[in-house]
Amino acid sequence: MKRGRILAIKWGMNPNSSSLGVDVTFLLVGATALAMATPLIGALLRWRKAPVDPAK
Amino acid sequence: MIGAILDRLRSARGMRRARLEAFGAIVHLAWPRSLVFVDRVMARRVTRVAGEPAIWQGSEPAVGERVLSAPLEAHLQITNRCGAGCQGCYTGASPDGAPGEWGLAEWKRALDELAAAGVFHVALGGGESASVPWLGELADHARARGIVPNLTTSGLEGLDALVAIAGRFGQINVSLDGLGPTYAAVRGFDGFARADEAIRRLRAVKREVGINVVVTRHNFAELPELFAYAKQRRLSEVELLRFKPSGRGAAAYRDLRCTDEQHRAFLPTVLAATKRHRVRVKVDCSYTPMLAHHSPDRALLAELAVYGCTGGDFLVGAKADGRLTACSFMASPPERPRVTELRSYWERSDAFGAFRTWRTAQEPCASCDYHELCRGGCKVVSAHVTGDASAPDPECPRVQAHRPRVHLPVL
Ligand code: SF4
Ligand code: SF4
Repeated sequence: MKRGRILAIKWGMNPNSSSLGVDVTFLLVGATALAMATPLIGALLRWRKAPVDPAK
Repeated sequence: MIGAILDRLRSARGMRRARLEAFGAIVHLAWPRSLVFVDRVMARRVTRVAGEPAIWQGSEPAVGERVLSAPLEAHLQITNRCGAGCQGCYTGASPDGAPGEWGLAEWKRALDELAAAGVFHVALGGGESASVPWLGELADHARARGIVPNLTTSGLEGLDALVAIAGRFGQINVSLDGLGPTYAAVRGFDGFARADEAIRRLRAVKREVGINVVVTRHNFAELPELFAYAKQRRLSEVELLRFKPSGRGAAAYRDLRCTDEQHRAFLPTVLAATKRHRVRVKVDCSYTPMLAHHSPDRALLAELAVYGCTGGDFLVGAKADGRLTACSFMASPPERPRVTELRSYWERSDAFGAFRTWRTAQEPCASCDYHELCRGGCKVVSAHVTGDASAPDPECPRVQAHRPRVHLPVL
């Protein structure tokens, strides 16, 4: 069975009411750190299915 | 430690939501705080999707290839009232506010519409949003609709009331454009001590407090000190915003905009400060050309959802009278629908003008390796400097190298 892929992770929440803020801290540590974080996020996602909202 | 993590995971479990997209889905995780973009196969495994959703008909596009089904976040200018009078204020806020400002009932209806569209977060701003007496009730309404409310404040007004309701927000950032006299050089008055007090009092009651720094030529050299300050105050992040020629900022642009050398040095300066002081850093969408200048790994940028001008796609704004705008910095024509009509306007082929037509780019954007991410840079700066919002961002180092005759205000 195909496992599927995480395509992107946008970290944090943006309080700035004028433009979109993105966390670039990972640019410091590079792709390796993100590659380590991604499976953990994948495990969290599979832990409990999220309700889909709104129904499409 | 492990027990605390498990507690946070358990309490965040009920707060996850997902929204289907043509590429798959976006899942909102309350902890760790993130929006996770997954493909269709994974969406089937991690969401309660049933059957074959209409949005998945046809081929599976990449993220960014098509406009999202709704914005990720909406920026609501809940008032344009503010007594501070900052010289570069991008909304031109004043003590009288804007004509036709909405009240609580209208903004609640706006949140209902945003929730129905599937928006995940709102950023409430102003004017001075903390001076609005119904701010807490609006935040509660957002939570009740499954939307996380976040807030930006100057910290100069309404602090007592804000401290009492700080827990209702996801993230609160205080605008702090410099330390001591630099604050006055950027804003035109000395408000540092009051902003600092707001930061200390908010941080005493809430972990997720950061600073928003509008980067100008006057405070650029002070960025490392601002990171040190954030570390000292135990803040969760520093968010860096490029100066935009909007509102009163249009007149102040030539005096406050960063120099081209500063723009080229932006990324290494910021990453060095982050590394040294171990504070998380966010940069706003208009900085993508300054990141691209250093040729970072494109795949990594995409995995971090680092996009450039995604107004009218990833984000949307609403003026104090509810008029929709692709981005809060952009003026909104009088005939523009209100945010309560977001879903119908979103689907229109002419929605948001140049923000949706970025693929038909001029050179050097058309041949730029980062164009799919950057989308031509900041349209607010392009419109102000060139008169054409769809023109390549004139402050982008690559654009400057390509067209040396683009004359920015003399520095
Ligand atoms: S015009 Fe585009 S890049 Fe500039 S602030 Fe708005 S959304 Fe961001
Ligand atoms: S050339 Fe255009 S697309 Fe490339 S980084 Fe500059 S503004 Fe962005």
